[in-house]
Parts: sequence; structure tokens; C-alpha cells
Amino acid sequence: MSLSTQCEARKAREPQGFTGGIASLADGRLYALQNPIRLDGRVSSYPASARGFSVTNSYLLTMPDAAMLIDTGFGKDEPVIRAQIEQLIAPGLPLSMFPLRLNEFMSINNVESFAGHFNIDQCYTSNPDAALWFDFGAKAEGRDILKSMKVTAVTRADTIQLGKGGRAIDVMQAPIRLIATRWLYDRLTRTLFSSDLFTHVWRDSATGPWIVTEADNDATSMRDIRSFMLNTRYWWLEGVATDSIRRGIGDIFDRYDVETIAPGYGCILRGHAVVARHYQMLDEFLKGCDKSVAVSRYVGRDEEH
Amino acid sequence: MLDKADMLARKPADRMPREIASGVFWIGDCLAQRHKGKIYHGYNAAFLVAGKTASCLVETGHPKDFPVIERHLNALFARGVPPLKYLFVTHQETPHCGGLGRVLKNYPDAILCGDVSDYHLAFPQFEHRMRWMKEGDEIDLGGRTLMAVEPVIRDLRTTWWGFDTGERVLFPGDGFAYSHYHEDGHCGLVAEEAVSLDLPDVSAVFADLALFWTKFADMNVYCDRLDQLIERLGVRTIAPTHGLPITDVKATVPKVQQGLKAAALMPESGTNEKVVLTGATAG
Repeated sequence: MSLSTQCEARKAREPQGFTGGIASLADGRLYALQNPIRLDGRVSSYPASARGFSVTNSYLLTMPDAAMLIDTGFGKDEPVIRAQIEQLIAPGLPLSMFPLRLNEFMSINNVESFAGHFNIDQCYTSNPDAALWFDFGAKAEGRDILKSMKVTAVTRADTIQLGKGGRAIDVMQAPIRLIATRWLYDRLTRTLFSSDLFTHVWRDSATGPWIVTEADNDATSMRDIRSFMLNTRYWWLEGVATDSIRRGIGDIFDRYDVETIAPGYGCILRGHAVVARHYQMLDEFLKGCDKSVAVSRYVGRDEEH
Repeated sequence: MLDKADMLARKPADRMPREIASGVFWIGDCLAQRHKGKIYHGYNAAFLVAGKTASCLVETGHPKDFPVIERHLNALFARGVPPLKYLFVTHQETPHCGGLGRVLKNYPDAILCGDVSDYHLAFPQFEHRMRWMKEGDEIDLGGRTLMAVEPVIRDLRTTWWGFDTGERVLFPGDGFAYSHYHEDGHCGLVAEEAVSLDLPDVSAVFADLALFWTKFADMNVYCDRLDQLIERLGVRTIAPTHGLPITDVKATVPKVQQGLKAAALMPESGTNEKVVLTGATAG
């Protein structure tokens, strides 16, 4: 059977000025499937006071004979994401899944549905026993589908191959994380998939744009990053020893030529200058949190910075 | 209530429901976790708090455990425990709330209470059955209430802990998280019965697996805050999601805190043993 991943690639829009849906980050190789969420105080990944819109990002890596989906999105978007994938890969193409955060709906909510719908080759995870972690009752036969799904555990420093051509994707343990989290680096497109880090850019409008490029007048400041980090899941950072965390992140940026940062939610950061600026701002923030210059204290639940 | 000998003769999932305080039932099953070449057991427990007129399920258990949780719930309702009208989950990580969709589907009178962030995105079909709680808000179960209280140990910012005002039981979600030794028969025991438990060891395991931040923050200030909360609420029993229930707060809490502080000083080591399996039942 002849398989093609390019059948509907023309429908993907150019990233410049992109407002949601399928964004081609590298034609025939990498697509972002971006679906909007309203920020109204009801999204745990954003500060309680954040208002406006963001997107959840799933990513589809395509090869002529295989594809891989990174993160599966929220249940509300299941029909849309399923249709987006169907636009980009031929029916029956072997599809692998790699949810980067094992304990969060945004990453794993649709594993069960997609396992029952697509020709799933395998599911990569950080935990070898993870299949039933995805059983949310979406389908009556979901448990059986998940039990029969091949699960491949990856270590904290691993490389997986996509397709017969062996497209190399490096796997790493996230250097800062809430819980079991993996980052990926796609050598072909020089893209770093950073899961819940570099998620700090959101928009006032549902129309985005959802990709920050070098052509934009990107106003994000270190102060914005500080506020975002301390008002979300990294509320605990101020006054702790951040040197090992900085070193872990820095090692990744030293080792890899990162042209695009592809976070699990929020705007994608595209272009070497944009990547360098946001990395530097994050690093400066972490440096300013270090116990050598800040004091560790009890942080209450509803404190906002 | 089962005695210890009866308990150990049964499979872990068959050791529940266990009543840890009057009208508070521990349900669920263990989760085996591979770590540093060993298999540790942890809980992703749920608890049913039964009032005179209504019951509240605290946490839904791990997604893999829903059939067990449902069996335990139905066994309790068959014994005359008041119907399930409320579901309270401490936060949005799926080992705490992965059964949420099926609880709301199978118990159509139940409403979800707490910080309900994200659930409208995961289960939009149930958005009309979600109710926000603020700190101090209470759910009336008839003769007792379940109150949302300060979440001292948490990861997601949207966490609330629960507190049963009737028997003064604290439901601390990710607080008091530690593994236990299946081989020593700890499954289904309360902390005070698991005499061979090495709390620094098992606390360190959980910190590696699930509480990354505790390897960095000064845990002394969090332990002090825990003491203040326990004192302020007059806590008599602690029902953690991942650890064994604590029935002697004065004796056991200092040991758990010692374990937490010791774990914070151990370098984090992460998870990740590379094994290829087919399906969840392998291994």
C-alpha cells in the first residue's frame, strides 16, 4: 500500500500571522495542531488572574511511512484534533503517540480515543506500565484498546527513530517539571518540544497570532516571565537553589541548535533570535530566584506576583 | 472493620473498603511503581465520607482503578450508606481525578465541587454539574460537612485540601505522600500498623516520582505550616491520597515530616527504567 503524509498538507496555513488550527512548521515534516482555550480563571496552567486566550498545542511529526503525535489535547477538542490529524496523514498510516506529561488531561485526555481510531504503532511514555493511566472511559471498549496498545518506555536520555528513514528524535527528562515530564528534540526541524516550559505567551484575542516570529514586535519581558512562572505551577522557585535547574536547561540549549521552541500550550517561539531572547529571559529569572539572592518562604495558594 | 490478620489474607483491592474513622471509608487499590530496580507500592486512594443525608467521594482514584472504586462504592451503598451527591477532588492531576468522567456518568445525581479548573475542558458534557469552592466553603452531608482548606503541600496552584468536620479527618491530596512495602504486607494498613515502613526511604521515592519541587524548597517552613494547620483544625485522622492513613497524628506526623525533610536532602534521581511491554498487564 502506498502511504502519503502529504495528502492535505496544502491546507495547513503558513505560520506567519497564524490564528489557530493547523500550522505548518515544516511542510511535510512538522505541524502544530493549535486549539484555543479561553483564559477566564478556570485553567490551571495559567495564573488565576490571566484573561484572554491561549492555545493547547499538539504536534504531528510526519514521514512518508509513519507519523508521531506529541500530546493529545483536551477532551473538548477530540473531534477537531482527530480531524486535523486525518487531514495530514493518509488512512492507515502507522501513528505513534508521545504524551509528554503523564498526569495531565491536556497531554493524555485523548490517547484512548485516538488509540481506537488510528492505526497506532506504539505509545511512548516515561512509565512502562502507563497504558491504563489513559483510561478515562471515553469508549466502552477503551480499556481493551489500551491493554492491547504497545507501550514503549523511554529513559531520561534516549533517542527514538520515526519511520524507516530513522528520523531521530532525542528524548530527555524535563530539567524542571511538575511531575514525570519529557522534552523532545527533533533534529530534522531543529525543534525543541518543551512541554510545560516556555508556555508564557498568551494573547488578548482568540485569533492569536499563536506563533512568535522574528518579524514580530514581541513585547514579552523578563517581568512577564517571572509573573507567569511564580503564579502557575512553578510558584515554589523563589529562594531555592536554581543553579542545577539553570544548568539543566542550559545544557540542552548548548547541545542542540534550537530554531523553534514548541511548548505544550501557549505561543510557539520561532527563529533563533526569538529562541535566544526567551531562553535568556528565563535564565535571568531563574538566576534572580536563586537562594543566594532571594529568600525561601512559605508560599500561600492564592498569592499572586 | 477487618482486623490485621484478615486484612493480610486478602488481595490489596479486596482489603477495602476500610473504615478509618466513623463514616469515612478508604477505597481503591495500590499502584506498583518501578524505581531504582525495585517495585514500590503507592496508593492513589479515594475516600467516601458518609453523612446522614448524603455522601461525598473525595478523589476518584487512579484511572486504572475505576472498576475497583466503583465496586467499593456500590458495596457501601448496598450496605445503606447515603447516596453519592458530591465529588470533591483535590486537584487536576489524573491520579486524583482520572475517574471523574465516569463518576459523574454513573452517579447522575452527583455534582463536582472544589477548584474545578480544567474539568470543563476535559469533560465538557458535565460542565453544568461543576461548582466552585473557596477556602472555608463547606458541603453539607447531614451532621457533618466537608470543608475546603489550605493546601500546604501542593504542586498545581489550583489545589484544595478537604476536611471532614465530623470526625476531623484531613484529606491532604499530595501531602503525606509516601510509598509502602507490598512484600511486608503494608497494603491496606494504616501507617501505625506498618511497623517496618522506612519513612525517609519511601518519602524519597515519592519525591522523586511526583513531588519534584520538594527537592528544592525549604521543607522546614512547609512542615511548620502543616503543624499550624493540624493544630488549627484539630485534625484527628489524616487520609492522604498516596500515603497510608494516619490515625495517631501526634505520634506519626513528626515521623512523616522527618521523612519529607530527609527526602528533600537526597539528590533527585527521576524515574525511567527502559522496558518494552505490550499492554498494561505485562510486568
